[in-house]
Amino acid sequence: MSRPAQNLLLITLGAAVLWITLATDEYLNYVKPGFRPLLVAAAVAMAALGAAGLRRDWHDSPGASPDGAHGHGHGHDHGHGPRVAWLLCLPALAIFVIAPPALGSFTAARGTDRPAAPPSPPAEGYRRLVPTGEPIDMTLGEFIGRSFETQTGMPNGLTDVQVRLTGFVRSRKEGDGWYLTRLKMTCCAGDAVPFQVIVHGLDKPADGTWVQVVGVYRPPKTRRPATGMHDLYGQSLRRIKKPKNAYE
Amino acid sequence: MAAMTDRSGLNTADPYDEELLPPPEWAPGTTMSPGTRALWAFVALAAAMAAGRIWVAPRIEAAALETWTTVFVAICVQALPFLVFGVMLSAAITAFVPPAVWRRVLPRRSGAAVPVAGVMGAVLPGCECASVPVAGGLMARGVAPAAALTFLLAAPAINPVVLVATAVAFPDSPQMVLGRFAASLIVAVLAGWAWLLLGRGEWLRVPSRPLAAAGAAARWESFRQAMRHDLMHAGGFLVVGGMAAATINVVVPASWVDGLAGVPVVSVLTLALLAVLMSICSEADAFVAASLTQFSPTAKLAFLVVGPMVDLKLIALQAGFFGRRFALRFVPLTFTLAVTVSLVVGGVLQ
Repeated sequence: MSRPAQNLLLITLGAAVLWITLATDEYLNYVKPGFRPLLVAAAVAMAALGAAGLRRDWHDSPGASPDGAHGHGHGHDHGHGPRVAWLLCLPALAIFVIAPPALGSFTAARGTDRPAAPPSPPAEGYRRLVPTGEPIDMTLGEFIGRSFETQTGMPNGLTDVQVRLTGFVRSRKEGDGWYLTRLKMTCCAGDAVPFQVIVHGLDKPADGTWVQVVGVYRPPKTRRPATGMHDLYGQSLRRIKKPKNAYE
Repeated sequence: MAAMTDRSGLNTADPYDEELLPPPEWAPGTTMSPGTRALWAFVALAAAMAAGRIWVAPRIEAAALETWTTVFVAICVQALPFLVFGVMLSAAITAFVPPAVWRRVLPRRSGAAVPVAGVMGAVLPGCECASVPVAGGLMARGVAPAAALTFLLAAPAINPVVLVATAVAFPDSPQMVLGRFAASLIVAVLAGWAWLLLGRGEWLRVPSRPLAAAGAAARWESFRQAMRHDLMHAGGFLVVGGMAAATINVVVPASWVDGLAGVPVVSVLTLALLAVLMSICSEADAFVAASLTQFSPTAKLAFLVVGPMVDLKLIALQAGFFGRRFALRFVPLTFTLAVTVSLVVGGVLQ
């Protein structure tokens, strides 16, 4: 890979990262929100490196072959880059041509054999819920964590309140109800695992629809804390647009 | 003509010329200057990107393809800042730390120099592609080969940038950072001592290589070039790793991986071999390891310990720098040590 190609590649990559972080919110499809400043800094560094290289070549080369760059005396120039670097075009192309969306049902369906481990509660434990007359907004992770505690004999008020959960719809292969699903990202989309709650008592919207469900916790009929099943008796449902950050 | 103008520098054994993959020749063999050719290539690339966004992106609906691409892009995007800043630091060290510093810091006796070199690797960030030439430079400047080899193994595996990246990739399991640090340091020191005891001088070809010249301007120039080179090289292999990880994530049926991941030693060996094949830069490999959710922590640890020490690009670099006879002995030694120590450390931490 020639030197100008390397410099232009650096600028292209920098521009692609700036596109997904500053021009759009697409970076939320791939990584956690806190990553934005790091990504912007890295993109600026790459673009600056490429621009400095181009400027240098521009100054060195007029009238001469690019090898004239050796004129500045250190005598050993790694100008010839490895061919494997061409592969760096692929992420930039993928970002623009395929515009990969946030992960969804496909990933959730792959993980069904092993329900995700319940998320660990906050260090000080879950605050006890008190009914206020309004449904309480809750992440699926918190609902599952509280449900797990309730099933293992640590009441935290989940049974007393109405909750509002947000996620997308997915059919169940067997059993009643349907899954309200949201993917939990630990670090990047590569490690996403599904959190799902079984919704009973409401007609199933089309698979993949994003909804907000208001309902009450439904304790399991049998004692089965280890199966990772968590049920909600749904009372009302509202279709929503896919949130900007599709992950939890 | 194009090939001639591309190739710069007089040193024909330049390790930077190695090309491990046969990627497509995208550039046509014309008589344009490399600058003009590259410019046109990237104008075409930008046009393809814009056209793709307008006409192709809205029509793609295959869930598997989208999922593959999301995972692939996510791994690349997540690893990128660590790659950029890691490469920046390692380029700064290559360019601004004079070689004499190394001789002053390391003890004279080789046996004592080995652990010190290992600890130095923990402090100084060095990309793995950079650590091979740096170790060669150390040997050329009179550092005991065993100590230089320990540094070569330790520097990319346990430097601060890599440890921070590991902590970010495994937010819920700090013992992964600890395990990686301990296991890698142990392997590096053991490998150094093993080389001291068993190694023979004639197996190793000590390279003589001029390092960067003095003078502030020349140093900045060599910083810029070292950074660009390392970024291009490591970035290319990161893409290979991202593609492999995305494929495992999407294509391999979960039941296979579950079955494999359930057998303790087999799963460790599988990920150790995967690390060798994927050749991901150590600044980025924690994110790939974290995405292999089906495997046991010990298997992931083996992936993180083996990867920065033994992989395809390192084997090629080591063979290029120190000779084939060296690589033939050093690579199996390191691999065996890395897998064994990972099993032990993983067992202790669980």
